[in-house]
Amino acid sequence: MIDVKNISKSFDGNQVLKNISITFEPGKTNLIIGRSGSGKTVLLKSILGLFDIDEGEIWYNDRNLVKMSNKERKLLRSEIGMVFQGGALFDSINVEGNVRFPLDMFTNMSGPEKTQRVQFCLDHVNIDRKAYKLFPSEISGGMQKRVAIARAIALNPKYLFCDEPNSGLDPETSTVIDQLIQSLTKEFQMTTIINTHDMNSVIEIGESVLFISKGEKEWVGTNREILDSGSQKLDDFIFANKLYAQMKKGK
Amino acid sequence: MRMGFFFHVGRYFSMLSKVFARPEKSKMYVRQLFLEIDNLGVNSVWIVVIISIFIGGIMTIQFAHALANPLYPNELVGLGTRDTLLLEFSSTMLALIMAGKIGSNITSEIGTMRVTEQIDSLEIMGVNSASYLIFPKIVAVVFIFPFLYIMSVFFGLLGGLLTGPLVGVVTVPQFIDGIQWLFYPYYITFSIIKCLVFGFLVSSVPAYFGYYVQGGALEVGKASTKAVVNTNILILFFDLLLTRLLLT
Repeated sequence: MIDVKNISKSFDGNQVLKNISITFEPGKTNLIIGRSGSGKTVLLKSILGLFDIDEGEIWYNDRNLVKMSNKERKLLRSEIGMVFQGGALFDSINVEGNVRFPLDMFTNMSGPEKTQRVQFCLDHVNIDRKAYKLFPSEISGGMQKRVAIARAIALNPKYLFCDEPNSGLDPETSTVIDQLIQSLTKEFQMTTIINTHDMNSVIEIGESVLFISKGEKEWVGTNREILDSGSQKLDDFIFANKLYAQMKKGK
Repeated sequence: MRMGFFFHVGRYFSMLSKVFARPEKSKMYVRQLFLEIDNLGVNSVWIVVIISIFIGGIMTIQFAHALANPLYPNELVGLGTRDTLLLEFSSTMLALIMAGKIGSNITSEIGTMRVTEQIDSLEIMGVNSASYLIFPKIVAVVFIFPFLYIMSVFFGLLGGLLTGPLVGVVTVPQFIDGIQWLFYPYYITFSIIKCLVFGFLVSSVPAYFGYYVQGGALEVGKASTKAVVNTNILILFFDLLLTRLLLT
């Protein structure tokens, strides 16, 4: 579980996050949504510890990120998996090597154990063994995202962060990625936080949705409640897409 | 915001403190080191050989032209070529050329990793990205530079030995006698010291420009250019400084 308590963050006097509190529960896909520039990425990076917050607390179960030493933060990071917007796979290493990298770096597993773990992770994201020796530039965008997810779960993380995992993907592949993240979250009981502005993802896997607007928490709920949130800002965000406006009208 | 000279100097040394921090897993760094020696060093051998042969040949012809006086023995052509190669060309000129080849390679590689979030990815895993990416490059280049220097001297002299007699400005025995005249072994020590310093500059300065690049492909390209220009200036500055300190 990740518990965010009253966090604020500003850059050069410009307040980007304003007193945000939220609890992200394990075994659930927790989504952060909002317009571009609303503060989603700053919130995600603050939770990850990449930005130092001005006020508030971030609790990873019973550990307060704000008060952690560098050594403790490093230890925490070994419990975190991250899927970046562009996949962020290492160009110079093949698919197998990318997933193996965190195992080489942080475990004392034997060679066969590592190979077994790599196969386990890549099997979970449906990567064919023929693709193991291919380099990131030789595989499709959807496949890159799946390899990135495999790499993120290689160390069996307690916390999974995804920054716009569907960007640049077609709707069908996006659904596959969404469902993959959700099923892995349930299987490994991870606390998963997904940063997105893709409404299809919200409807598909939004078990807990945080909507932020101009750095403030505007609404929290589930995908079932989102169409009747009562928040004008959220409605404006959702119904910018006419399809959802028609859904609300029952068409 | 335009950032000042001292900001860059401070950030450069701050980066170096991260680079020389204790590695997470030495085995991974050793593996990376061998890859970098191959990528940055061994892959530079051909360009060093080709440039050195041509420059050695050109210098021989130029020395012969400048010393075309019956009072000067022809052996001076070999001596002049040797000393220029030993003292300046094979260390400084080679470093300037390598700043273009190796330096731009380092900046674009690390810069691309930065803009495609690969460095963020390493950081989130808990890897000291500066150390993992830059330390093996610095060690590899500092290690390989003296070897490239020795190769450059050898092939430069070979270029002179082939070209001089070929164009008829000096005979083979005269050239060989010339390169043995008034030989000071300290010249090699001096140049090896320069190579170590230049190797450090050629790897660390471009790494700095790549590591802190912000934006996209265009910015990576600009950073590469800046890296090469700044490295060249620093090489010349340290050349002057080391020559003053160690040779005069």
